Amino acid sequence: MVIVKRKTLTLAERLYLPEILRGLSITFRKMFQPKVTRQYPEEPLPTNEVTRGQPRLRELTEGHLACVSCGLCEAACPAYAITIDGQETDRFIEREPERFEIDMLRCILCGFCEEACPKEAIFMSTELELAGFTRESFKYGIDKLKRSTEELAPRMEYIKRINERW
Amino acid sequence: MTKIIVNGREVEADPQKPLIAACHDHGEHVPHYCYHPGLSAVGSCRICQVEVKQGEMPARVVAACRTPIAEGMVVNTDSEGAHDSRRECLEFLLKNHPLDCPICDKAGECSLQDYSFQEAQAEGRSSEPRRKLEKRKDLGDVILLDQERCILCSRCVRFMDEVPKSPQLCISGRGSHSVVETWQDAPLTGNYQGNLADVCPVGALTLKDFRFQARVWNLTRVPSTCSECSRGCSITAEVLRDGEVKRMRPRPNENVNGYWMCDHGRFSEGELNRSDRMAPAALRDDAGQLTAADPGDALRVIQNLLSVQSQALLLASPYLTVEEGEAFSQLARSLGRQASFFSPEPNDLRDDVLHTGDPCPNRRGLQEAGLTPMSSDEWAAASAAADCILLVGERLLDMLGDEALAGLPATQRLVVMECRASDHPAVDVAIGVPNRVERSGTWINVDGAAGAIRAARPAPQGVRTIVDLLADLTTTSGQPEEALSS
Repeated sequence: MVIVKRKTLTLAERLYLPEILRGLSITFRKMFQPKVTRQYPEEPLPTNEVTRGQPRLRELTEGHLACVSCGLCEAACPAYAITIDGQETDRFIEREPERFEIDMLRCILCGFCEEACPKEAIFMSTELELAGFTRESFKYGIDKLKRSTEELAPRMEYIKRINERW
Repeated sequence: MTKIIVNGREVEADPQKPLIAACHDHGEHVPHYCYHPGLSAVGSCRICQVEVKQGEMPARVVAACRTPIAEGMVVNTDSEGAHDSRRECLEFLLKNHPLDCPICDKAGECSLQDYSFQEAQAEGRSSEPRRKLEKRKDLGDVILLDQERCILCSRCVRFMDEVPKSPQLCISGRGSHSVVETWQDAPLTGNYQGNLADVCPVGALTLKDFRFQARVWNLTRVPSTCSECSRGCSITAEVLRDGEVKRMRPRPNENVNGYWMCDHGRFSEGELNRSDRMAPAALRDDAGQLTAADPGDALRVIQNLLSVQSQALLLASPYLTVEEGEAFSQLARSLGRQASFFSPEPNDLRDDVLHTGDPCPNRRGLQEAGLTPMSSDEWAAASAAADCILLVGERLLDMLGDEALAGLPATQRLVVMECRASDHPAVDVAIGVPNRVERSGTWINVDGAAGAIRAARPAPQGVRTIVDLLADLTTTSGQPEEALSS
């Protein structure tokens, strides 16, 4: 059995008012200091080229994807989030994805797909938000995944730069 | 048998075969492109070089595919000299090979990829541009040629010469202008073109049928047996994500098919991928429609029919396995009837290579199981005389034809156990069964060699095996239940 000895309060403490004033002084002091709270989601998170958000497919200026559906990202994906079916094209690059599906609920944003890609076709974007009402809605197809080269350019530059180090 | 020493191990080698075969037989893999165990050896790719020491001579590096075996050879497949020569050969082969791997259908099973990785040939030293040749050259209905990818091993040329004995391909031009071609770009003909894509060690000759269908590492490969003739070639059925059969390829089997199979069998997967499958059970309702029913109810209806009708005709599909044939003849015996299997007319695909022209893959097996063959004439007579017909097995409705069923008398009861859906008005009870990539069993080919078929993907939900269904019918037949309206 432990006996806890209660501390006897001093007069100032018993008066209550000085302690209130001490607390309020902290409040008022902080009011004039710079704010550290971020008003998410009104104020989005700052991102840069190192941000590893959701993977996105790069669309070339000619309007088709850079992806040739080689399946290396599918093979590299540790979460089995990617499913690809290929089809033939008339272009010089003979093959393109017919279906490119990433299950965003499975995706763990590891970036292996980006690393495996031999065609600079898949990059981790700065997009981080994910919400939906059905499981099916998280299966992103080509229409939801494709982004213009300009949008993905900072990340592309970054990946090229770090690859040069090796 | 000759005694040689391979990598420090004394082994018995067949002197009729080249040195590379002896190395492979004893588990020492020697890289090779132009050598194929089913074809003659020419020694054009020089990748199979190994170090051989014989007698008092100093050790030298030789091409293993063109070196005959001699007593007392000391072979080292892993020597530095051998690796050096291989690396040099690879550099030349890769000099003009395009960096197509992300697009190429061969990627993942390409020997050029494998050996480049194995021999650590990672970077080329040449800066000259690669050869520019035709990337999509049409070689008939089956094969597409990419001349840039070709390493001129001449396996395809030798295959056409030696196996179907219809030389149609040649290497034309000289030096760096050499390309594989047909005479005046004539399309290839014959029933064995598909093998060209298998013998090609790189992605130069690819199947049009399989073009960009799947990445090969995503395919589940299941050893099986070809169904299209009574040769029963050993094959590998390759299935993508438990769904479609994407391709079928020959599996080496010296006793049956060697290394080959015909195109008729190779491209028979379309029928296995059809989506209009029979429901697990369907009964004709009061309105005359064939509607899905409880499988137990449907089986009871069949039992009742078989016990009531005394002139039942039991006809099986020729694709039934030996095990299913046994179960079928047991059912027939319990009913006091003779079980038969449908035996279609021989087709005109018979040749001297593999195809027998007989479309029944298990004729011998079914006959040994006690089933008698029934030709279409016999079927016409027997079906008219029967009061109840039980048809069991895949593709039987297609073989008999809708007209044959339409001519049946209205009082006759028709029970169908099929793979594909049928809403033919003559069908009274329908049961769905698994097809030949969804069930396992044995077929016995024309020479008596057994070939296993193995389930490569699960059967559709609720579909039971033919053996189970027939066993259920057998155990209770001959004991009529309450008369059920059918």
